[in-house]
Amino acid sequence: MRTEAIDPPGIDWERVSPKYITVRLVQWVLGNLVSVLVLSLPLMLVLADVWVWPPLWLAVTVPAVMLVVALWRLVLIPRQVRAIGYAERDDDLLIRTGIFFQRTMAVPYGRMQYVDISVGPVERGLGLCTLKLHTASPGTNAQIPGLPAAEGARLREQLAARGEARLAGL
Amino acid sequence: MSDGEWLRVHPASPFVRGWVALAAIAFFFGRDIFERSLQGRPVFEEELAGRAPLLLAGGGAVLLVTVLGFILTWYFTKYQVAGGYVRVNTGFLFRQQRQARLDRVQAIDIVQPLLARIFGLAELKFEVADAGESAVRLAYLKMDDARQLRATILARAAGVTTGTEDPGVAAPEAPEYPVLAVPPSRLVGSLLLSGQSVFVVAATVASVLLSAVTESSAFYLYLVPAVLGLAATYWNLFNKGYNFTAAISPDGIRLRYGLLDTQAQTLPPGRIQAVKITQPPLWRPLGWYRIQVNVAGYGLVENAGEGSARTTLLPVGTLPDVMNMLSLVLPDPGTPQPAVVFGAGLTGQDAAGGFVTTPRRARWLAPLSWRRNGFAATDTALLLRSGRWWRQLVVVPHQRTQSMALHQGPLARLFRVADLVLHTTAGPVLPRLTQAGVDEARTLFNEQSARARLARKRQTTEQWLRQVAPAAAEAVPVAEPAPTTHQQEGGQHG
Repeated sequence: MRTEAIDPPGIDWERVSPKYITVRLVQWVLGNLVSVLVLSLPLMLVLADVWVWPPLWLAVTVPAVMLVVALWRLVLIPRQVRAIGYAERDDDLLIRTGIFFQRTMAVPYGRMQYVDISVGPVERGLGLCTLKLHTASPGTNAQIPGLPAAEGARLREQLAARGEARLAGL
Repeated sequence: MSDGEWLRVHPASPFVRGWVALAAIAFFFGRDIFERSLQGRPVFEEELAGRAPLLLAGGGAVLLVTVLGFILTWYFTKYQVAGGYVRVNTGFLFRQQRQARLDRVQAIDIVQPLLARIFGLAELKFEVADAGESAVRLAYLKMDDARQLRATILARAAGVTTGTEDPGVAAPEAPEYPVLAVPPSRLVGSLLLSGQSVFVVAATVASVLLSAVTESSAFYLYLVPAVLGLAATYWNLFNKGYNFTAAISPDGIRLRYGLLDTQAQTLPPGRIQAVKITQPPLWRPLGWYRIQVNVAGYGLVENAGEGSARTTLLPVGTLPDVMNMLSLVLPDPGTPQPAVVFGAGLTGQDAAGGFVTTPRRARWLAPLSWRRNGFAATDTALLLRSGRWWRQLVVVPHQRTQSMALHQGPLARLFRVADLVLHTTAGPVLPRLTQAGVDEARTLFNEQSARARLARKRQTTEQWLRQVAPAAAEAVPVAEPAPTTHQQEGGQHG
């Protein structure tokens, strides 16, 4: 995995399961195709001469732009999933995400209030899970999606143990 | 205040709280009778006269049920301080039991709404960082009882054991030393010069111009609701900020304020998660600043007006006031020259005071403020400075950092800069270092992790008097001690 400019040097990033791409694809289909179809409705109605307004060019442009954006997102998905990484350091957990808008986050073990594991229907089918860390701050939006179930359970136990050892007050 | 004994709140409290219901009933019946007697008509219509007793009985029943409800509410509301917990039981149909760990008390307030103040009653409210629940409230207690209970809770929370755990002995109230007061004239001035006043003036000018140009007076009409809303806002700020005083005691920082509804807040040492000092452009000639803080539990308030008052550490103050308050929040500034470093953070530019600013190559991303945007780290806190016109300085103690993140978008990557966001509890302060050079930001990210780790190790217990250095005692000399022990909240405001 390529180290980006904002990543601390010398980190061996753990990658999430490539199967997570499938989860994202399903989400993409549900999110984008539905909206493209809904936006294409006026086009069909105009073509069928039911509607007079909007003009044809507008009725074509809106869903076309939407489709292009959606396809662009589709192309990005594999790279986005590859860009998700996490690393357990001695005192904190590093999580990185994003290609264009990159984010590298450090969550100290002593600050974790609790750790969640959630499994959606598609994830369950693929044997994946999403791990979520909570601190006292609502700004800590730390989640690692697409972990294999066994790795998720291991990580949760590990984090809980380390958190207990280093627990600090608020 | 014996240990483990279940106590009740003051019997008048449901009436003070539910006076609206009683007033509504009185109004409903009273207005009709009053109008009829004015008009010389009989109280009851001819055809209803026969049913008068029935109607009276109905009204009486409503009143009786309400009063009975009040009495039952009172009867089933009990509280207890024992074994490191405060427990509050409420409700008779839907029972609710709440308990709060004393060493997790984040802040404790004594609130007196106007009516409660008339009766000499007060509400005790404490924020506990247990599981993100809202405040535990006890309404209403007699003013003296409320203060006594506050002293007990704070003493237990601080780890003071009252002698031999003798249940009969109440904890003495900690002595306190006044630090500063905000005169009403300065409060009024700050409101007149606030950002919304600029908006008011601009809107007035715009509407006058529009009216003149279009020769229609309709634009004045649009101003009416705006003026009403603004008047309410100004009044709210004035009412909340009136007679603001700050004092320090071993229990923590005491803040008192309010014109009609008074409030006395106590913030135990080390409970403040982040501090923000701001200066709108119109305050600059007068040298005024506002201080806001993040305190765990305060962020989750239902009422925005109440919330903004509670998170304000200083509504308006001069530079010495700001430095005084900072010395209370951060007893150890972690630098040999606090005045230089914090002064540079408030008003300075460029590298003065040890600040690292946005590199020159990225000046087009922030053409005005690139020389202000920057950070400086002392041994105990991180200072984040920003804003050319709307000056802002955010101070986050190292031991309060929850987690942090580096952000970089495509444009920032082009200029090789990055943002560093520190995560803290919910509140008005959102610490973010904008557009720092990418190398500096990465170095800070690593160093900050190390510093926060060290600070956490040093801070071992939640019970602050058991910690190595009692912070408040050190801060007192700054505040020019004038010991007025046992200040009377009730007497001072009422």
